Amino acid sequence: MRKIVIALVLLLFVLSSGLVNAAAPLQQEGGQEYTVQADDWLSKLADKFYGDVFNWPAIWLGTNQKAAADSSFAMISNPDIVEVGQKLWIPDAEEAAALLAEYSGGAAPAAATGGAPSGTLRVAWDIPVQLDPAFASSDSEIAILNAVYDYLVDIDPGNNIRPRLATRWAVSGDGLTYTFTLASGATFHDGSPLTANDVVWTFNRLRDPALELPTADLYQNITNVEATGDLEVTFTLAETNPFFLFDLSDNHAVILQADTADPATEFNGTGPFRVVNYTPEDRMQLQANENYFMPGKPGVAELEFIFFSDQAASVDALRGGQVDLVMRMPTPLFLALENEAGINTVSVPTNGFDLIRLRSDREPGNDPRVIQAMKLATDRQAIFETVTLGLGAVGRDSPIGPLFTAYYSEATAMPQRDPAAAQALLAEAGYPDGLQLDLHVPDSGDRPDLAVVLKEQWAEAGIDVNVIVEPESVYYGDNGWLEVDLGITGWGSRPIPQFYLDVMLVCDAEWNESHYCNPEFDQLVQTAGTTLNEQERVQAYNEIQRILIEEGPVIIPYFFPQLGAISENFTGLELKAFAGRTDLTTIRPAQSQ
Amino acid sequence: MATEDRFAPLPAPIWKTSRSTPRWLRTLTRLYTQPASAFGTTVFLFFIIIALIGPFIAPYGATEQIRADARQVPSAAHFFGTDRLGRDIFSRVIIGSRDILELAGLGTLLAVLAGTLFGLASGYKGGLFDEILFRLFDSLLAMPALLLALLLLGTIGPSRNSILAVIVVVYTPIVGRVVRSVVLGVKPKGFIEAAQVQGETTFHILFREILPSVFPALAVEAALRFSYAIFLVASLGFLGVGIQPPSPDWGLMVNEARNYVSLTPWALYFPAAAISLLVIGVNLMADGLKRALQVDI
Repeated sequence: MRKIVIALVLLLFVLSSGLVNAAAPLQQEGGQEYTVQADDWLSKLADKFYGDVFNWPAIWLGTNQKAAADSSFAMISNPDIVEVGQKLWIPDAEEAAALLAEYSGGAAPAAATGGAPSGTLRVAWDIPVQLDPAFASSDSEIAILNAVYDYLVDIDPGNNIRPRLATRWAVSGDGLTYTFTLASGATFHDGSPLTANDVVWTFNRLRDPALELPTADLYQNITNVEATGDLEVTFTLAETNPFFLFDLSDNHAVILQADTADPATEFNGTGPFRVVNYTPEDRMQLQANENYFMPGKPGVAELEFIFFSDQAASVDALRGGQVDLVMRMPTPLFLALENEAGINTVSVPTNGFDLIRLRSDREPGNDPRVIQAMKLATDRQAIFETVTLGLGAVGRDSPIGPLFTAYYSEATAMPQRDPAAAQALLAEAGYPDGLQLDLHVPDSGDRPDLAVVLKEQWAEAGIDVNVIVEPESVYYGDNGWLEVDLGITGWGSRPIPQFYLDVMLVCDAEWNESHYCNPEFDQLVQTAGTTLNEQERVQAYNEIQRILIEEGPVIIPYFFPQLGAISENFTGLELKAFAGRTDLTTIRPAQSQ
Repeated sequence: MATEDRFAPLPAPIWKTSRSTPRWLRTLTRLYTQPASAFGTTVFLFFIIIALIGPFIAPYGATEQIRADARQVPSAAHFFGTDRLGRDIFSRVIIGSRDILELAGLGTLLAVLAGTLFGLASGYKGGLFDEILFRLFDSLLAMPALLLALLLLGTIGPSRNSILAVIVVVYTPIVGRVVRSVVLGVKPKGFIEAAQVQGETTFHILFREILPSVFPALAVEAALRFSYAIFLVASLGFLGVGIQPPSPDWGLMVNEARNYVSLTPWALYFPAAAISLLVIGVNLMADGLKRALQVDI
């Protein structure tokens, strides 16, 4: 009897090792090189080498690591796209496992320090108005969403996609099908578990044309969302979209429980914090979610959002110790805080900018020489130094900023400032005595100062500007800003440049404030936004930048920075370009070691 | 209050005056008998002179931005320092005095004119017209001046003319009230009845018979309203609904400097001090005027 058992056990071992060998990947120790063939994509290769489509991040990160040292490998910025002939590095199983673990959130380093969450973090914000995720837009509203709910994927400060509720995903070869695996063990604050149905319900709501939500346009390319497993969701697209994952991480796209009746008041999410108390226009008190699916997060036991109607007051509160973190403040207050004891200041560059535009569909802007004259009369460097005090970056009249390293180009030279030439151009266009215009400006941020500096600069070219400063609710209310001839508008930071082109500069764009319409330009934007060929996209963006500098309708003098200040009692702040999306789970009380 | 002043012993006048001295000069000397009103009158006259000669003595333009000199501490080159855009604060305060005095002065004048007309007509006529008009004025008076101003500006939009309109709407009721009460006190007097019997026109009765009695109270009220009007213009500028940038409006300067108070505190303190000084000065002058004119009756 005993001999039979031993024999069976040995047989089992042999068979199982045989199985392992049969499914063993065709790889050698230490990893190998691989050259991309036609019809190859990362998930397919992951399947081939690891037996699992969801292991593609291992190849991506492995190649990028190699590329840092060996120039024969090219860095892959967008893992959905690989070119034929591109060299990839396929790490071995061990290395792959390590890379995958690092990619899936890297909770290990955070959990190593501190154990249980402790302390209370008080954050100052503007007063939130709209708490329904489908309509929320301001930093404070998004910050609440980011704490109470989760997104499918996040965008890290380096503009890379990171897993969140979706731990792994794969994309089909034709780029039209995306399959996501959801985290297991994630639960809503009311105790019910997260299922694929919740994701399906959330996105069907966001893209429902009947509800007329701001995201309906963004997601109209999705033809189908369905649950293909208890924790698996599949999206089907009509057209290829190389930025689809960024679109999925849109500020509105937090995952709600299916059939939530009133998202604006129920606050039932899967997120790292649970709402304990909300007093509108005063404060919101939250507690760490003990059942949060990511281990080691959050770092603080209690979170409090305190609302201020005045940014200067919130900075004073930080100085006085009533709040610990402020992420929206006027630039001069930031400079004052830099030298303050007990407070650490942080500034990160962003893709957000202020732009000046003249309507190009009617007089006087319909004559391109008038807009050219305005561009010639503007000294962007001077504006950058005076208005944003040297923080951020100088602009080049295009929304593709220096942070988009793959797409930003200085190939087209910016013309030197020349007020005399501007005046001559105006005369040529039929305005020998110059122009008189009303400039509408919202009263937030550095925009009023920008208006005043611009007025002085343009006066030298014979353009007489009458500055009208309005509260934001008046400037943006009833879409008045889309109607005025000359206006200054602020655009918040977004992770991809395509967004600005699609909503601001194409002929039928929803927010085409300059009423610019150039079919050749539209064609380039279309190409850039749909092609899976990275080279083609880079070329399209370069051409777009050239057109915008030479004949475009907008003046972009600078990209503003995102500023933050945190009390020295806390560490771990990783400020993001869009302040509301800053991950508050990385912050924990400073150890007094 | 009025009766106590009336019977208080007069201090010795600073200069000898007689019946032949013009009335305004007599009033002026009486203003200088008290230290408080002397101070107030001096401040007021000083700002009037500054407003007149300001643009000629200001070392820099009001909107001239010198980037290299931005955020400088007060010094010999810039007496009050410079703001964040490199504009000289001293020049802005001086040139801004003209704007604020002009706006507040013109507005007060219009309000006084309108209030006088309404008060005279209504007080003399009486009846339903008087009732309705002054109930309307009462309801306007019930609202805080700033609130009323904001409501109006929200409707008609901020500009120089709309601020004038706001001052007129906000202060006409008070002036009207004062005038009306004096008219009601004078109406039963004998000389009015005599004039009516004589067949004088209403115009004559109102402006040749009644108005002289109204004038002292009106002058005091006008001076008081003027100080409030200055404060109102500065407040509206501070709230951002007054004259638009880059105008050197003192209230606007205070608002713009608020965020920079840790970097350029002088950009805030000097305009604020100017506002305080002028408002207190005119107010003290109005007080002195009240005493001086009551004496003359």
